[in-house]
Amino acid sequence: MRLLLLLVWLLAVGAVGVRAQQLLDWSSDEIRAVGQHGPWPPPPVRDPSNKVSGTPAGIALGEHLFNEPRLSGDGRMSCAKCHQAGREWSDGLAKARGAVELDRRTPSLWNVGYLHWFGWDGAGDSLWAQSIRPLLDPREMNGGPTRAGEFLRSDLAFACGYERAFGSKPGTDDERLLVDTAKALAAFQATLVSPRAPFDDFRDALVSGDRESAARYPLAAQRGLKLFIGEANCNLCHLGPRFTSGEFGDIGIPFFVRPGEVDSGRLGGLGRLAANPFNLLGKYNDDATGNNARRTRHVQRQHANFGEFRVPGLRQVGRSGPYMHNGSLATLEDVIRHYSEVSPDRLHSDGIPLVRPLGLSAEQSADLVAFLRSLDAEPLARPSPAPLCP
Amino acid sequence: MRLAAALLGTLLATPAWADCALDLGRGTGWVVFSEHYLMAFRPDPLRIEVGEPFALILNVCTRNGGAAELLAVDANMPEHRHGMNYRATIVAKGDGRFRAEGFLFHMPGRWEITFDVRAGDDSERLTHDIILK
Repeated sequence: MRLLLLLVWLLAVGAVGVRAQQLLDWSSDEIRAVGQHGPWPPPPVRDPSNKVSGTPAGIALGEHLFNEPRLSGDGRMSCAKCHQAGREWSDGLAKARGAVELDRRTPSLWNVGYLHWFGWDGAGDSLWAQSIRPLLDPREMNGGPTRAGEFLRSDLAFACGYERAFGSKPGTDDERLLVDTAKALAAFQATLVSPRAPFDDFRDALVSGDRESAARYPLAAQRGLKLFIGEANCNLCHLGPRFTSGEFGDIGIPFFVRPGEVDSGRLGGLGRLAANPFNLLGKYNDDATGNNARRTRHVQRQHANFGEFRVPGLRQVGRSGPYMHNGSLATLEDVIRHYSEVSPDRLHSDGIPLVRPLGLSAEQSADLVAFLRSLDAEPLARPSPAPLCP
Repeated sequence: MRLAAALLGTLLATPAWADCALDLGRGTGWVVFSEHYLMAFRPDPLRIEVGEPFALILNVCTRNGGAAELLAVDANMPEHRHGMNYRATIVAKGDGRFRAEGFLFHMPGRWEITFDVRAGDDSERLTHDIILK
């Protein structure tokens, strides 16, 4: 009897072991689709419109400026107040809180250097141009156009850091110093690359044919990934290593911010882009070839842009809720429920809709969440920045 | 494939067609033709990537050897009934050669490129499909 029990126990343990090591069948098309979400991390990015992008002195100055509240009007708010390292470079709030509560969520800064459009509405066409906006916005840091220049000239350590980064002492041109402040901020933000996640190990193993390593990836995540690249078609917009096209879409989130007032999203963003003197068609673009301004030169403002918002990347997504541009969905489960039940009437699609109610079962929803959570990893602790000019 | 090659060979055997340069440098690219027009084009850079800007280099010819004009070039996804988020602009390079700048395909799938060409009063729309994976 004991022998029989032992045999049954061994078989049961063995069965569990086999289940834990199982690899689903992946077709060549699926392997190709999974492979397109890597490798990770990508090579460091360098922005040709920003002469201090990728330079150690520019990055160091940018990190100090990022944490500097004296850039704000009341001397109390820095970039780091809303973009917190311990909260995935966001704030964990449904809506950003500057001097007042804003209408949109603070976007995470992970992998922001790889984008081409910035902000939920893409009103910024460079990371440095986007970084100017909160410095000036009365609802956010409210620094005013001369604040950055006055600060760089008056603080000895920052003046020294500026000279190291830009090759000359801070001058008297406040607009130039505002732009340079933003370029240093951008140089720092572009270094924020999310860590490798369990998905990346699976992706690399699957692509290289290492079935044993690939089988360590949880079955629920495998099933969720199959849905993501298959039936649910999530990868039409959440594509590539960063899981975003970097473009814009309307996924049926209500656009009323309060009674009688709407957030027009990309439509308004394109208007602000055209009116922005700091866009890439302006004099502060350091790229003499003009090649990096092609998107700005050719983008067209269309009625369909109304209610569109930037497709966010999905790395670290399980750690960086609430979700959507307005923080209206609290959890990943809520996000999946939205895509499962979204009303097609709201989306006004003439052709095959990109977003449609997926009608997911409870198990399919859980599988998608399991996959999305496999894009999360614990970031390394950041050391304090070295002094600017020791 | 053989049929297309034979058809193209027949077209090129006609003297006026033979004057139409199909080699756009770094390989021919794609050829599109109708009863009245023959057009060769290729992307620059050669490989189109989702989300990355590219240009088209084009050579437009007419059956009778007359000058042809490229009026407009655009792209859309017929299944989803949406176009690009960008508008291409055309620069004439002379002798029926053109460069259209400002393309960006923001999604994988079937993109239909449309070319509006004209010679005199006769205009026509040519199309070509690209499947982007």
